Amino acid sequence: MRIAGHLFMGLSALVLALPIVVVSGAALNGGRSMFFPPQDPTLTRFGEFFVSEPIWTEALMNSIIVALGAATLAVLLAWPIAYLLWSQNSPLSRVLAGLGSLPFAVPPIVFGVGLGFYWGFLGGLGALWAGIVSHAVLLMALPLVTISIGLQSIDRAHLDAAATMGATEAVTFRTVVAPQTVPYTISGFFFVLVLSFNEFIVMFFVSASAYATVTLQIFNSLRNGYTPTMAVAAITFIVVSILVFSAVARWGDLPRLMGADQSRN
Amino acid sequence: MTLAQDIDLPRSKSGSARAPLVSRGAMLRWGLALLTFVLCVVPFMLVFAISFGRKIEGAAWGWDFTFENYQRFFVGAMWPDDVTFLYLQQLGYSFWYAVIASCLAVLTALPFTLLLTRLSRRAQAMWLVFILSSLSLSEVFIVMGWDILLSNNSGLPALFKSTGLTQWLKDVGWFQTLRDWGLANPRNVKFKTSDFATILTMSYLVWPYAVILLYPPLSRLDPSLREAARTMGAGNWQVIRTVILPSVRLPLFGTTLLLFVFLLGTYVAVTVFADPSKHTTAVAIYSNVRGANLNAPFGATQAVILLISASVCLVLGHKLNQWAEKRA
Amino acid sequence: MSGLVLDGVSKSYGSVRAVVPTDLDFADGKLTALLGPSGCGKTTLLRMIAGLEDPSSGTLTLRGRDITDLPAHKRKFGMVFQSFALFPHLTVLGNVTYSLTISGVAKPEAESKARVLLDLVQLGAFADRRIGELSGGQRQRVAIARALAQEPEVFLLDEPMSALDAKLREDMQVELRLLQQRLGITTIVVTHDQREAMTMADRIVVMSAGRVEQVGTPQEIYHQPANAFVAGFIGKANFFDAVACSGGVRAGDVTFEAKARFHPGSRVQVAIRPERACLDHEATGNTISATVTFVRDLGPVREYHLDTPVGAMVVEYAMGEQAKTYNVGDSAQLRLPPEALLVFAVDQPHQTLMAAQ
Repeated sequence: MRIAGHLFMGLSALVLALPIVVVSGAALNGGRSMFFPPQDPTLTRFGEFFVSEPIWTEALMNSIIVALGAATLAVLLAWPIAYLLWSQNSPLSRVLAGLGSLPFAVPPIVFGVGLGFYWGFLGGLGALWAGIVSHAVLLMALPLVTISIGLQSIDRAHLDAAATMGATEAVTFRTVVAPQTVPYTISGFFFVLVLSFNEFIVMFFVSASAYATVTLQIFNSLRNGYTPTMAVAAITFIVVSILVFSAVARWGDLPRLMGADQSRN
Repeated sequence: MTLAQDIDLPRSKSGSARAPLVSRGAMLRWGLALLTFVLCVVPFMLVFAISFGRKIEGAAWGWDFTFENYQRFFVGAMWPDDVTFLYLQQLGYSFWYAVIASCLAVLTALPFTLLLTRLSRRAQAMWLVFILSSLSLSEVFIVMGWDILLSNNSGLPALFKSTGLTQWLKDVGWFQTLRDWGLANPRNVKFKTSDFATILTMSYLVWPYAVILLYPPLSRLDPSLREAARTMGAGNWQVIRTVILPSVRLPLFGTTLLLFVFLLGTYVAVTVFADPSKHTTAVAIYSNVRGANLNAPFGATQAVILLISASVCLVLGHKLNQWAEKRA
Repeated sequence: MSGLVLDGVSKSYGSVRAVVPTDLDFADGKLTALLGPSGCGKTTLLRMIAGLEDPSSGTLTLRGRDITDLPAHKRKFGMVFQSFALFPHLTVLGNVTYSLTISGVAKPEAESKARVLLDLVQLGAFADRRIGELSGGQRQRVAIARALAQEPEVFLLDEPMSALDAKLREDMQVELRLLQQRLGITTIVVTHDQREAMTMADRIVVMSAGRVEQVGTPQEIYHQPANAFVAGFIGKANFFDAVACSGGVRAGDVTFEAKARFHPGSRVQVAIRPERACLDHEATGNTISATVTFVRDLGPVREYHLDTPVGAMVVEYAMGEQAKTYNVGDSAQLRLPPEALLVFAVDQPHQTLMAAQ
């Protein structure tokens, strides 16, 4: 029975990895077409992506700016809502948490369409900062969840102890709550970072062809087919994600961050 | 002489300040509420409002209050002379693909996640890194990968042919069945543009999410329940059937529901892998708002209907959850 | 033919020895308690008996049949878990009939059997309740009924009282013992509470750090502890270090006559139970001077905490047993009767008493 279990997990991993391997291999193609196994393997595509072709270098810069900005903003927006929900659990706080999660819970295309009109009226359509705000709001649900998990793990007795020693709510937050939830804040940040990199539907409606992120650029070129240079983007993203999540796993408790039970294993 | 006598009590100030009308805390709270509303709710309200609008010649549209778009969605623009259910059909395909793909993903993710929670903490962390990293692969890349894998000239069909698998299928007689299902041409198997490829890709897309959503409830399964069942004579399969599955019914359902709603909005996989006659509402929205058709109000209508369908499913699911929890 | 026999059973996790090779014999129809502090290996031993862990070495036999390799679900030893492990998705009746249902017993028959058991544990009216509605004590009874439904050969309980509050615990110890005697079923209870073991068990197996320290009846364990660990773990004891000499032991300047005999000069540890020590006016044999530092009047007993040349000591008197009462600061003579002194070798704490010569 054990062997069957291991086999199943191995098979799942294989199927999961298959397209990734294929795409990674396709990035090495010498020509313009996507063949697997790659023909005329070469690393020139990597050079094109990171250095020589302005379409891609600009798109990469935009992706990075939007992702970093959105992650920061999302965490900043999620914290007050999560904190309010945890400390008071009032009907208002529950409604706010629900509303904050709303953009993420429904098919993103609807929110994208809405944001397209929204920025059109507010004047941000086609501006990079509007893209940052859009992603932040879209993905706010993620740090909301991770920070909530973190807050739940705080022993309320700590808050009482701080109060008996003279700490106001603000001081307690700064000295007791925030330090204990740092790993959850960070993991929320990274989730938004990674998902923002990969998001293109909302970005499509919000950028209105004024600028492009990497995935958006690929999405736009869909009509013309894939080129190996795009595959370089895929590899880059995968490698960055692996590094980011490995770092989280190395310095934090990844199973616990994902909601696992504390007391076992 | 005790310590207590050394503490100085503050003298009460004469003429204490009047309490503010609205406390600072309440102001912050309502400020937050306003911000959330403006950012999260207003875009949806906009879509709703525009769905009642009117398309103007060219690429523009104007504010209005007409039910034309909704009528067009349900029964076609020419009603009552000529009825078309095309748009309803598109919604139907959205549901069809999303349901099958989400169920498939959850059913295959369940045993995987169960096995995952039984590993050591370190092994779990390693697997989670792998899953999370694959999660971060955008839909465009996933479709790219499967496009290559399933392409007729250099992907799996070519592999089938070169390893003789195609010939074997023909000999055994299953080739004809594949043809009936639309998965083969006279010469070889064909996977691209088929329901199979669409659903496979969509399932693949949400599989890591399924693992991540099932992970918390499954890792909280009390192992002593399993052990108790074993001491009472339950073999492995019986334990799974009578103890584990009933305990995870709710998380399973919740996860499937969330993934289903997410998949309702799939765009790229459908565009690449589905037959044009089977395209979904999401594809239609895109072409109406920014794509070929440029009929923003109608696109908004479709978006509203999609949103309402998704919300109805979520609310039903939530109610079911509450009812089940009251029963337990 | 005796019931359950363990021969050389041990458990190691990598380089960590949880249980050293152990031989134990569980008599038919008797209740044996595995007693020890947390981490001593008693739960590991129980789980090996249940089949939930595989022993690293050794064999288990039941009535002469080797069951070492038999998986847990074929052994069918009824087990009550520390958290009770009741199935939340089944009613009380559903839980109790579980073992019967999955082995194919027809529903009416299974239910009537279950109801008999529920009456036995006084939960007859609760058959259709859901687990979430029950109190801790009720859950424990359901767990007991459920384990007994399959008419097991051996009944295992892992710290069954730890989830109950103190008052209920005492009542349930008595009830469980009476139930076990009525059914006459071979029972093994794991516990860290020595009062619980003394209340319920026919025999106690005292364990520490993976090995068995002593096996005996509650009285044997209490009055004739095999080593310093058992003496300290069961009941209360005063300890002091000494050196063996002819006729007894010497601690500093004071010589005590004692029954045990050791090689003169070997280091020993001496124990005496508080209720066996006495306070006197005069210095007769086996006395040392003592000053009262604290008095604890607990109602049925009075404790005197004393400062003596051999260290701090506690003497206990039952109500009415004493002629004179002492107060804090009083001086007195502490008398340690020779027959009450328990002497243990220091260098090998796990060896039983050795006679010199």
